[in-house]
Amino acid sequence: MEGRKLRDMFGSESKPGTEAEEGRNTMSQAGPVTETSSQPQGAAASARRAKTLEAKEVNLYYGDFHAVENVNMTIEPNKVTALIGSSGCGKTTFLRSLNRMHELTPGASVKGSIQLDGEDVYGAGVDPVAVRRLVGMVFQQPNPFPTMSIYDNVAAGLDFNAGKIRKADKDAIVERSLRGAHLWDEVKDRLGRPGSGLSGGQQQRLCIARATAVSPEVLLMDEPCSALDPVATLAIEDLIGELKKEYTIAIVTHNMQQAARASDNTAFFNLDESGKPGHLVEIGPTQEIFTKPKKKETEDYVSGRFG
Amino acid sequence: MPGIRVEYQEELEALEASALGGLDLVTSQLVRTLEAVEHQDIELAQIVVADDDRIDGRYLEVHQALITLLATQSPVATDLRLISALLHVLKNIERMGDQCVNICKVIPMSGHTPPADQEMVKLILTMGAHAKALIAQAKRAFCERNVEMARDLVDRDDVIDELNRDCFRLALAIGDDADQREWAMTMMLTARAIERIGDNSVDIGEQVAFVVTGLFREFEDASHPDAHA
Repeated sequence: MEGRKLRDMFGSESKPGTEAEEGRNTMSQAGPVTETSSQPQGAAASARRAKTLEAKEVNLYYGDFHAVENVNMTIEPNKVTALIGSSGCGKTTFLRSLNRMHELTPGASVKGSIQLDGEDVYGAGVDPVAVRRLVGMVFQQPNPFPTMSIYDNVAAGLDFNAGKIRKADKDAIVERSLRGAHLWDEVKDRLGRPGSGLSGGQQQRLCIARATAVSPEVLLMDEPCSALDPVATLAIEDLIGELKKEYTIAIVTHNMQQAARASDNTAFFNLDESGKPGHLVEIGPTQEIFTKPKKKETEDYVSGRFG
Repeated sequence: MPGIRVEYQEELEALEASALGGLDLVTSQLVRTLEAVEHQDIELAQIVVADDDRIDGRYLEVHQALITLLATQSPVATDLRLISALLHVLKNIERMGDQCVNICKVIPMSGHTPPADQEMVKLILTMGAHAKALIAQAKRAFCERNVEMARDLVDRDDVIDELNRDCFRLALAIGDDADQREWAMTMMLTARAIERIGDNSVDIGEQVAFVVTGLFREFEDASHPDAHA
């Protein structure tokens, strides 16, 4: 567990002793590398407790524009939390704030706190890159690095994050990640071919393998199936069900049935009118949101009475 | 932006009206059944038996349309609960129709001039009147989504249950005449069928509570009568 020490990024909140005992990642530890031999093959092999993301009074801005207002919610560990709501309600903006990608937009700013098992990801001195390794993102359009091979696509994050890795370790991580993404059997004989040669569904699974290769705690998915056909969509949904045994997952989706099928908890975002900030209307067990939501606003949305 | 999925909403409303309209069919069947019992009218009883096809037809038609809505519209939340409740209610309606048929089928057994005990006939007609009121109340509770009114069905059904027990006592005391005992036996079947119609009305009330609250609980559990929901 001797990674690059980033502990000084944090205040007094980090609890190095217990986390080291559990073999857990923190933002204060870097490489997954030396853990690989003890890691299971594939996500389904065993379950582990991933970390909790907690948003407290989160307000998000693009310059003067108040995009998201006062969100308080917990993204529970080893569960899939779906974020639903109509376009412009701030759900994607909120998702991007969870791993500090929101601030990459010029003029964007964040108020409030987002904590990963009690550690503020916006804490003074925290390296956003370290946050993004622990809280990975899968995007709407599969975006493998087009010129890189399948192998290098998966290994890309390792090179960025952990410095020099032994080839055998790297091979093991690539295989584990591709197996975990249900892609290994389809690509094991052509690891040197470009990732862009894969089908859309395969490319998205490649991106999931890339995101998991760096052993994150949380996976954020921004409409990961919206560019995929129904079969590839269901394959990704199955995969999400497997991945939650290892990771905490938040997924933005416009597909209500996908939220109903694939998530444990559902958070509904809405905005009162265009130009007003989006806000969290209701979060609860998915089964409850789709059978007896507490708010009429939620009911109208999930029943398709709004656009 | 209300105004989206208008056709679907209209269709669901029409299906609810059509399903609950089945209760009106049951009411008219029950009225004729009671008349047939009162006057020992075998021809009227046969009409009731034949007319049950209308209730069965309604059941199949609305059931199929609800399944289609489930398949094509992915209803959730209140819509989903309503559809689930309507599927239950349709079954209750079909059962109530069958109970009218059961009553009418035993009428010819006692012949045109049965050794009728007028007190017992009166009891059965009173039970029938209560059952008719129960059906009307169940329908109204459903239309108005009125849980209180639905729960009140339990108390009103208790009256029918008590009358049913009275009927049983009268049958036991009917005497030694074989023909009269046979007649009393058919009346017991009749009373039992009416009692079941009351129970089905209470079941509809439970569905009202489910549509409104999202919780499905039996108002009363026959095997644990003291444990009120």
